[in-house]
Amino acid sequence: MSGEPVVYFEDMKLGEEYTSPGRTVTEADIVIFAGLSGDYNVLHTDAEHMKASLFGERIAHGLLGLSIQQGLLDRVVPGQAVGPLAAVKWKFKGPIKIGDTIHVEARVSAKKEGERAGTGVVTVERRVVNQRGEVVQEGETDHVVARRPA
Amino acid sequence: MAAAPAERRLYFEDVQTNVPLETPGMTLTETHAALFGALTSCGPTEPGAIPDLIPLCLSSGLGWRVPQPPLVVLAFMGFEWRFLKPTRVGDTIRSVSTTVAKRSMKDGGVVIEERQILNQDGQVVQSGRLTLLVAKRPPS
Repeated sequence: MSGEPVVYFEDMKLGEEYTSPGRTVTEADIVIFAGLSGDYNVLHTDAEHMKASLFGERIAHGLLGLSIQQGLLDRVVPGQAVGPLAAVKWKFKGPIKIGDTIHVEARVSAKKEGERAGTGVVTVERRVVNQRGEVVQEGETDHVVARRPA
Repeated sequence: MAAAPAERRLYFEDVQTNVPLETPGMTLTETHAALFGALTSCGPTEPGAIPDLIPLCLSSGLGWRVPQPPLVVLAFMGFEWRFLKPTRVGDTIRSVSTTVAKRSMKDGGVVIEERQILNQDGQVVQSGRLTLLVAKRPPS
C-alpha cells in the first residue's frame, strides 16, 4: 500500500465500538449487483417466482449485503484504519428485502501479531441490523494493520 | 404456443462431491472497481487497485457459467474466506469449486463448497469454504 496509514495497529483499542449510518437497500442496488456480479439467481431477479417462495419477494444477494456493510463501516472507521481484508467468517441469518434499512454494529474483538514483521492483525466483529433490530448478517473480519514504526 | 422446455436444474440429490468445476475467466477492469465503488462506497485504496470483495462477488456469477445446469440454491448460509493476494485492474480471474460435503435436511440439503479464485498466472488470490442450502428434487 502506498501512503502512510493514519492509524497504526497500536492505535486500535480492543473493545472499541463503531456504529455505521443506515442505508436503505433498493431494487436498483439489487439490479446493479446482479449485473456487476453476473449472479442472476431467481432469488434476486424474478419477482413472480419469489411471490411463491419462503421469502415472498426478491431478496438482496448475501454478498451485496456484505459489500454494503463494508462500505458503511468504511464511512465511520477513522482514516481507513481498518486495513485490507485478510479473512472473513460470515453468516447470512435472514433476508434483506427491497426497502429494508440496514446499519452495521462493529467492535474490535481481538488483536494479535501479524505474520509479517511490522504488522498486526485486528479482528472486527460485525453485525448487520435491519430497521426492526433483527440481525440479518453477522461475522468477523481480520485486517492486517501496520505497526507504528519504532 | 408450445410450452418452453423446462430449464434444466440440479437439485441436492444431483450434487457430486469431490468433482472440481472450473469457470471461465473474467478480466478485472476499472469499470468493475467504479461500479462496485459507486454501489457500495468501498473505494479502491490506490489507482489500479481492485476492492478486496470484487473477486469474491464475481466468483458467484462465474459459478453459473460452469458446464453443468444451475444448482437450485435456496439460501447462502455463510462462508469463511481468505484474501491471499491483492488483485489489480487487468488481472484475469477464474474460480474452481469443489463440493466437499453434503448433508440432507428435512427441507433441502446443506452443501459445503470449497472455492479457489486464481489469477492468470495460476496463483490463488482468494479461497475459502461456502455453505449453501440447496433444494431437494420435487416429487414428480
